[in-house]
Amino acid sequence: MVIAALLILMIALAWPVPRLMAGMTTFRRAPRAALVVWQATSVAAVLAALFAAPAALPYLIGPAPELTDNATQIAIAVTVTGLIAGRLIVSGHRVGTRLRAHRRRHRRLVDLLAVPVGADASHAAHMRVIEHPTPTAYCVPGVRRRVVLTQGTLDALPEDQLDAVLAHERAHLRARHDLILEFFTVIHEAVPSWFRCEAALREVTLLIEVLADRAAVRATGVLSTARAIVGMATGAVKPEGMLAMSESPSAARLRLELLEPGPVAGLPAPMAAAVMYLFAGSVVLMPVALLVVAWATA
Amino acid sequence: MATNPRTRLGELERAVMEHLWTASEARPEGLTVRDVHDAIGVERGLAYTTLMTVLDRMAKKKLVTRERDGRAWRYLPASSRDELTSEALHHTLGELAGSERRSALLRFLDQSTPEELDELRAALADLEQREGKRKTG
Repeated sequence: MVIAALLILMIALAWPVPRLMAGMTTFRRAPRAALVVWQATSVAAVLAALFAAPAALPYLIGPAPELTDNATQIAIAVTVTGLIAGRLIVSGHRVGTRLRAHRRRHRRLVDLLAVPVGADASHAAHMRVIEHPTPTAYCVPGVRRRVVLTQGTLDALPEDQLDAVLAHERAHLRARHDLILEFFTVIHEAVPSWFRCEAALREVTLLIEVLADRAAVRATGVLSTARAIVGMATGAVKPEGMLAMSESPSAARLRLELLEPGPVAGLPAPMAAAVMYLFAGSVVLMPVALLVVAWATA
Repeated sequence: MATNPRTRLGELERAVMEHLWTASEARPEGLTVRDVHDAIGVERGLAYTTLMTVLDRMAKKKLVTRERDGRAWRYLPASSRDELTSEALHHTLGELAGSERRSALLRFLDQSTPEELDELRAALADLEQREGKRKTG
């Protein structure tokens, strides 16, 4: 029973739940709580997968197994859990190495191309401006972090909107949003590709953007932030022979709508967030409880 | 200004690159360490050998190319500034498909159409009106 429950929990959390959650757009209004729920379901899925074999042991060989008598069963259980843990570790290593190598290379490139701006002011020490007409802004996280702007951004946006853009990027760096995204990427790549949920990763990415947008709203106000988002998304210039990119208009529209907290599924935002945190806590507790039950009742 | 040695080295590499980009237009045969030292080393109070080491490292990193000319090397930038800029901005959306936050958001969009941009501007106008009302009302 308990093993079946663990397996059902694992499969549910890995397959239908992320797909369902990605469609429940109302929770975007409480981005922080929504991110916690996403993290909780991921952790719970991992725990359920790791616990399935250990939970099965007491049913197969009794509550007080002897290592000598039941070596085969114990070895199988250890192997199953070890394989799952191994996949996670390998994925974590691969994603981490790739991200760090990419950032290092990118930072070198940026430092070669761009002049530091206002290096005397400590808050601008990480800022770099690249000569390119399309408005783009992003950050390179890490110990030697960078906020990169194009000249097109400086040309297109008035000061208050520029402040909003910088507040947005600094929020990413300060809150280490890269680590949240890295966590989800590791889990995403640890499961077989046919099992992965791209929509979930996109949703999480959007939630992180909304969090940074709201930091920008607190720093500069709704209007400056909204105008900056639209300015960045509509200001694309395509220079001959150079690559141009800009924010997707549809993503920008979503972000506009989510700048200010509002009711979530009819509930006031703080109450909805409290319910969501409670849900997140119970989801993580579920596999743990099932494992305990498996050993206590066998 | 830049007290961290790594930052100082990065700053020097940038200055060298900058000079190579500007000067190589007039001198497609390339610049010697002496040229680079005269242009950017002297005013910074740097030794000739410092520039020699920096250029050697940059050649190993494939940032610059070099050719023997008698007893000296002649250095040229390996890619133009525009090429490197394109590469830098391309990085931010490529390679890490799914892992870099921008690429994930950029995959939301396909190609943005004029209609989409109009809708976005209309959404902003709505928001501006709402905010205006809130302030006056």
